[in-house]
Amino acid sequence: MIVRLEVNGERRLVDLPPLTRLLDALRGPLGLTGTKEGCGEGECGSCTVLLDGDPVNACLVATAQCEGRSVTTVEGLGALDGRARETGGLSLLQAAFVTEGGAQCGICTPGMLIAAEALLRETVDGANRKPTDTEIREAVAGNICRCTGYQRIVDSIAQAAALRRRVSPADWVRENLPFAKAEGTRGLL
Amino acid sequence: MSLPELSLHGLERPDSLGSVCERLAERAARGEKTVLLAGGTDWFVERHVAPATDGSEAELVLDVSRLPELRGISASGDTLWIGAATTYLELRRHPVVAARVPLLPAMSKDVGAVQIQARGTLGGNLATASPAADGVGALAALDATVHLLSVRGPRSIAISDYFTGYKRSVRAADEVITGFTVQMPGEGSFQYWRKVGTRLAQAISKVALAGVAEVSDGQVTRLGLGMVSVAPTTAFLPTVRALALRRPLDRIADSALDAATQADVSPIDDVRSTGDYRRHVSGALVREFFRTLRSR
Repeated sequence: MIVRLEVNGERRLVDLPPLTRLLDALRGPLGLTGTKEGCGEGECGSCTVLLDGDPVNACLVATAQCEGRSVTTVEGLGALDGRARETGGLSLLQAAFVTEGGAQCGICTPGMLIAAEALLRETVDGANRKPTDTEIREAVAGNICRCTGYQRIVDSIAQAAALRRRVSPADWVRENLPFAKAEGTRGLL
Repeated sequence: MSLPELSLHGLERPDSLGSVCERLAERAARGEKTVLLAGGTDWFVERHVAPATDGSEAELVLDVSRLPELRGISASGDTLWIGAATTYLELRRHPVVAARVPLLPAMSKDVGAVQIQARGTLGGNLATASPAADGVGALAALDATVHLLSVRGPRSIAISDYFTGYKRSVRAADEVITGFTVQMPGEGSFQYWRKVGTRLAQAISKVALAGVAEVSDGQVTRLGLGMVSVAPTTAFLPTVRALALRRPLDRIADSALDAATQADVSPIDDVRSTGDYRRHVSGALVREFFRTLRSR
């Protein structure tokens, strides 16, 4: 079945059996391997992507159900952030995970970032307020990390929420990413 | 059918509820299996754990997730309509639901995590007919009416008449659950939701209780209860209801509540809990419901 969808702002087309999991469509023909498979049954959140703005487990979504819909993966976060040029291609949220130690082995990180992005869109972008600690923990409650103990992930999201509201990204990079070179920080995650 | 066999399933996206009914009727008449797919949060998990087969039984999947007739929430007077393909996240976000039936967003918040809430639907929860279905517990407490449709016409039944056994129901092979109607509790009503699971998110209930009560002049005038994971189907706790309804609240003794609760539940040991623990928690939740109701 041919399915037309928008992925990270670009119109894409895939021709796959209709019940193919969105996760497999992304990692296969769409070539976006940032989205990880963990448990494969909706428990761990590693494969979280945004579907029309809401976080979903890509392992539980049929590709055919994405016809005409918008999908955002971790690869799209920097691309969608107009200020990402100043953080070496990373969104502020991604950069905060670097500086606050929110990423370790990296398997859960794409899903964590997407779940956090959904929260920041709702609270910071939508309601112009910082999320509470409880809201942050609830937002990533469906994302399991076996490395960090979660505190640094929560700190990263809180940091990103604070910066997304008020500080100039250029200033933030100068203060927090002294190692950021012209070629950017891509590859750190 | 296992995960590697997903490619063997056909999928159709009917453009109207009428087309779904016609397709279901044709296939049911030929004895062919059809799955109505909404959020997929159960169906895909079942595929993940299922053993491989020879592929000959690959049922046809009809995607009903975006049929307009099955979506949406609307209020008319004191009656609330919830389309079967309404997601938990939509229930959490709806202002009328939040104001009048806070039980529903409270329950929805405890279903999986937000990724599951964005996909899972109330209709799917009922269709799966698991006794662990949190959404059905809430519908039971609200004494919801279930609306079904087929080429033979519509029918509406009380949710207490829906189940015929473990994961079995009165829904025929050619019928679609179109939605639910609920008489919204009045101002000042008491609505209760408490889920006991391994952790706050992503847990399937060991036991959960949904409750709705209205009290007038110290007497219980409306009482709805739905308990999860304590019987082969969602438990409606008829003995507890009979004990307390139209009774003065201050004359409903805990000992009588305990006896009634134990008469209404028949929990088993399984991977998530034990029958003994579930019996203990069942009693505690019912007592807490009435204790909180009395103290208001």
